[in-house]
Amino acid sequence: MSVEITVSEGGMPHNKVLAIGLVGSLVCIYLTYMNTLANTQLFAFFGGLAAVFALWWGTDTIKHLCSYGLGTGVPSAGMIALGSGVIAMVLATKLSSMNMIPVSSVLIIPIGCVVIGAILGAILGYIANNIVNMNIPVMVVSLAELCIVGAITILGLATMVSGSFAFADLVTGSSTFFGVEVANYQSSVIGGGVIAVIFMLGAIAVQHAFNACLGPNESQDRTLMLAAECGFLSMITVAIMSFAFISFTAAVVSFIISAIGWVYTYKQYLVMSKRDAFMWLDAKPIREKEA
Amino acid sequence: MSALGGGSSGGEGINPVGTAVGIVLLLIAIGALYVLSPGLAFMSLIGVIIGGVLIGFGVHFVPVGGAPAAMGQSPGIATGVTMLAAGAGLAGLFGGAWAAELGFGVALAGGAIGGGLMMAVTCLMVNVIYVYGMGIPAASGKVAKDPITGDTFEAYKSQGTEGHGLPFISYVGGVIGGMLGGLGGTLIYLELLKVYEEFLPGMFNVPAEQILPLAVGLAGVFAIGMFLVNAVIAAYNITGTIEGPHDPKFKRFPRAVIGCAVASAVCGMLAIILVVM
Repeated sequence: MSVEITVSEGGMPHNKVLAIGLVGSLVCIYLTYMNTLANTQLFAFFGGLAAVFALWWGTDTIKHLCSYGLGTGVPSAGMIALGSGVIAMVLATKLSSMNMIPVSSVLIIPIGCVVIGAILGAILGYIANNIVNMNIPVMVVSLAELCIVGAITILGLATMVSGSFAFADLVTGSSTFFGVEVANYQSSVIGGGVIAVIFMLGAIAVQHAFNACLGPNESQDRTLMLAAECGFLSMITVAIMSFAFISFTAAVVSFIISAIGWVYTYKQYLVMSKRDAFMWLDAKPIREKEA
Repeated sequence: MSALGGGSSGGEGINPVGTAVGIVLLLIAIGALYVLSPGLAFMSLIGVIIGGVLIGFGVHFVPVGGAPAAMGQSPGIATGVTMLAAGAGLAGLFGGAWAAELGFGVALAGGAIGGGLMMAVTCLMVNVIYVYGMGIPAASGKVAKDPITGDTFEAYKSQGTEGHGLPFISYVGGVIGGMLGGLGGTLIYLELLKVYEEFLPGMFNVPAEQILPLAVGLAGVFAIGMFLVNAVIAAYNITGTIEGPHDPKFKRFPRAVIGCAVASAVCGMLAIILVVM
């Protein structure tokens, strides 16, 4: 028993999606550093935008990978992406404060996140392809891409919650910046378990779009629009969580931007669904009485 | 561009070159950590690898039917391998994590029982739905006789299906798989927790009890991450559906065990380097 997975041809080439996603998400994560430069938290929302770029790119990677027929369903790709991504991301946030690495600037973190994710993902891809004998030509590249996507998604959303991507800020309660006297580790992003919620939000967002759109009439722009919509939906949840960590104004700005993004992408997705549908009936739940 | 979703072309047998490279990677990961921090951190990595192997092996016991099972056309639980393994393993992991303060043995037993219990309840409810909801008897398509009870399936199997329902052997396999998965997940969690409890207080210069929430959070999210990585690698090995320990696909498990050992070694090394470097 098998279900045919058909993938649309044409559209934007995968390498272009990869380039836009990678550059876009890195630029957005670096833009959150303006928080430190300007001594504010207003730019935390750029972390969420980085996650949207990464999820948008990751959806196309999953589409690329799953067109070979994994036999295990699309969600497994999202699970391995975020499962390995969280390890790469937490290690990367620590890079700037490691004894063995001479660079002490936190600006190394986003690049380090990509590098560690690529190495870990390539190793997992090699395991799946050569030890488990999957024999899929794009396996190594795809899992490397997916691991980077997972790592950047979690890094971006964690930055959106806390306003910073340094390990010390992620593990220490950010409400204690008035004085260093008692650092509260329980009220931090990692110590408080917020990272587990971010993990699941990312894992669901990255696998949902292709899982929902696959089929005979799949079209790339509609799938990718759904991916962006899922990203903004995750951003809304993360913006609500960020009220506990960053200033009220910054969290409101994050929330408004994610809500605007979500409404726009959702409307666009509906338009594209109507375009791709054979027919569209604007049915009303209750018929109005004709006068 | 189109391909079949059901059967990946995954080759049979063990790939000697890939396996050799994998074992070299495993040794590099173990060696690197031995150089960085012999002692507690090194022993924990060994524990993490054992946990990953247990997960990879345990997943093969879990009867997975996928979408066909929902239509009564193949035996097993009607969902994907990853989801089922994650459910069983995480149920065990939470059970074990809750019992972590009561000692190593109690926590491991808690994890195994949690995972096994979750699978037992799932299998029971699946059979209730199959038998009383859909009106179909349990029959395996892979073997003629149940290896445990000796019941024959041939007369009950509907034409054109690969069997249906959840035979006794699949039920037993599911419980064993849940126990192994819960045990492995809990082992990974406990080993990582031990490392973080040891090294984090020194890193931040604070008393151990203050840093405990951070150690628990880090160990928990890493254990979940590694659990999903191992479960997906085992799922790639199974490719689709498996009935349980009597299924011919079960014999493929050595590949997944090697793969999971390598993956756990690399992921575990990264997770431990976080605090020892």
